[in-house]
Amino acid sequence: MLNRRDLLKSSALTAGSLLLPAGLRPAFAAGEDITIGAPLPMSGPFAANGKFGSMGTAMIVEEVGRILDRKLGYIEIDTEGKPATAVRKVQEAMERGVTLFSGGILSSEALAMGKEVAKGNGVFITTAGADEITGSECNKGTFRWSVPTFGAIEQTVRPLIEQLPDAKRWYTITPQYVFGDGLLNAAKAIFKEKGIEHVGNSYHSLTEKEFSGYLTNAMAAKPDALLILNFGSQSSDTLRQAVSFGMKQRMTILLAWASGLEQFETLGPDLMEGVYFGAQYWHGIDSPFNRELVAKVQAKHKMNPNYAFASAYLTTKLLIDAAAKAGSTDGPAVAKAMEGMKYAGLTGDEEIRAADHQVIKNYYLLKGKAKSAMKDKDDYADIISFGKSFQSPEEALCKMA
Amino acid sequence: MNRASLHFLLAALVAAALPLFMRSGTLASEVLIFAMAAAACNLLLGYTGLLSFGQGIFFGLGSYAVGLTLLHTSLPLSLALALSTLAGAVAATGVGWLSIRRQGVYFVMLTLAFSQFFYFLAYTFKDVTGGDNGLLNIPRPAIGPFTLGNSWSYYTFVAVLFLFVFAALQRVASSTFGRTLLAVRDNEERARAIGFPVRLFKITAFAVSGAVTGLAGALHALLIGVAPLSSIEYHMSESILIMTIIGGTGNLFASVLGAGFYVIVSDLLSSIWPRWLLLLGGLLVVVALFMQKGLWGLLERLVEALRSGRKSPVEAPVRPESEGRGI
Repeated sequence: MLNRRDLLKSSALTAGSLLLPAGLRPAFAAGEDITIGAPLPMSGPFAANGKFGSMGTAMIVEEVGRILDRKLGYIEIDTEGKPATAVRKVQEAMERGVTLFSGGILSSEALAMGKEVAKGNGVFITTAGADEITGSECNKGTFRWSVPTFGAIEQTVRPLIEQLPDAKRWYTITPQYVFGDGLLNAAKAIFKEKGIEHVGNSYHSLTEKEFSGYLTNAMAAKPDALLILNFGSQSSDTLRQAVSFGMKQRMTILLAWASGLEQFETLGPDLMEGVYFGAQYWHGIDSPFNRELVAKVQAKHKMNPNYAFASAYLTTKLLIDAAAKAGSTDGPAVAKAMEGMKYAGLTGDEEIRAADHQVIKNYYLLKGKAKSAMKDKDDYADIISFGKSFQSPEEALCKMA
Repeated sequence: MNRASLHFLLAALVAAALPLFMRSGTLASEVLIFAMAAAACNLLLGYTGLLSFGQGIFFGLGSYAVGLTLLHTSLPLSLALALSTLAGAVAATGVGWLSIRRQGVYFVMLTLAFSQFFYFLAYTFKDVTGGDNGLLNIPRPAIGPFTLGNSWSYYTFVAVLFLFVFAALQRVASSTFGRTLLAVRDNEERARAIGFPVRLFKITAFAVSGAVTGLAGALHALLIGVAPLSSIEYHMSESILIMTIIGGTGNLFASVLGAGFYVIVSDLLSSIWPRWLLLLGGLLVVVALFMQKGLWGLLERLVEALRSGRKSPVEAPVRPESEGRGI
């Protein structure tokens, strides 16, 4: 298996390969290999996600081994969580002949990389959250596995309203940028439809770490439910502070865009108990492909796959399957093979919609368990409901270039 | 050969040698782009004694200016770059005019505050800047008959601009104006007493530095096809300052060394170890403790040691040298 990090480690230590003249350097992808690029934040604040993403890609590449009578490998590309670095390194990988990429956890880097890969006639599949990826900025080379904001709200807020008919007053906390507004607008539409009173919203910036002021405002509005629309460490901080304020006892809390196991491990069952979470993936999903993956990961890594691991495994597999189907690693041919592809995926039957390159898959509503009810160390939550909700490509503003 | 000519020759050698030793035109272009930004920062830090955290503002504004111009007008690339340079200069004049009213730590705090201010402006006006997603789809049009689509053809374009800018900065540094900046740095009160318009000189230094940094930002946006929000945030200022300090603030070529070292070593280290930022932090500690003249100082000591055939002398107290003769 070809791993850029391992290869560079040895070459850098022995010869400072980066600065050697081109003719003297070891090639990253030996002549006949098919190389998948894995642009992930391996360093910086999102390095933990990058590490698991890389493990997922490595596992499927190792499993498949060969396609089209050629050895399969991958190169790990450290985006450092910065769009500029991500694009620059993707450009370099493309110059070395890589056409297929799976990665991009952060929206800003995924959007920029998608554009770059499409420009170079490659294919890029990502799990990043920004709606624009398969919406207004959709393009011929970019595919997205994760459910956009519309579906995340439809599959969390709507079922929760149905489960809690007495929760008539909702308060929202929203990060003030495009992603947050996407979630908020979808939630407002449901509130309006269901006759829910939206008693208030607190906007905060992407750099915010202290949420007590927003939570105080939320408590003053006396809502029946608190809808947290930020993500990552911000959503964990918001939830921690909300629980310490005793809000869990006074209202229902829904964190609509959780990252699953990796986030739950940092929160712990005491915080999570009784709280609802929206998730793209959960290792407890009862689908044949997921059960198979969970067993394989447990056997190989002695752990359950988290979202970053599982999604990277699947998205890389989609690229490999499409290349095999197309009989080529040529970007446009692989993209064509991916369009309309139906397969048994992690969340059950999944399909890649041809018109906007969005994967049609389930989104999950989970509920945190009490520590005493956990069957194993990772059994943090139960699946309450799930389903598929997507805007049409036209509604999502995708005009495929 | 005088010192300025030697430094220009060294800069030209770097620009000519990078294609021979680097696998990627993209990485090579990034080295020269940040070399420009670091040299511009050096004009403030090394020559005027101003530690500015505002460099990211000018870099980011340059990125946005070129992107918005090329996306929304039919102006040619040369004019788009000129506008980016102007945007950097105008912003730097404003930031400089307000910041130099205070000295020392208060000056640094003001530039930090401006850095945050401009970051949040870019973040808030997402319809203009793209907000957190960045300004996407920035084209890289041809300049006259020359297409810049290929990474090495773009590198050639960047290299030509880099040498032009480097020569211009050298000219500024060795002019009466540049030598007066050194006087201001060394003893502001005395320079004022002699009759130099110190404030005007500092603002002008800011404007020149901002103009070059704006141009570097524009070239960077053209390189990657996007003007990300990270281009205007505080960390960009920090990176440019680190490059300047690692290279050494003694002369402009030291900044080329610093930028090259930072960009290449970061790229190499990030491929080897995910916690590479720790190593970079360690390196900064070493530079701050033992190599206060930066890589250039180290190089000088090595050359001196080779010349004299004995052990390198104990480093003299830090006193950035002048490209000119001093006053």
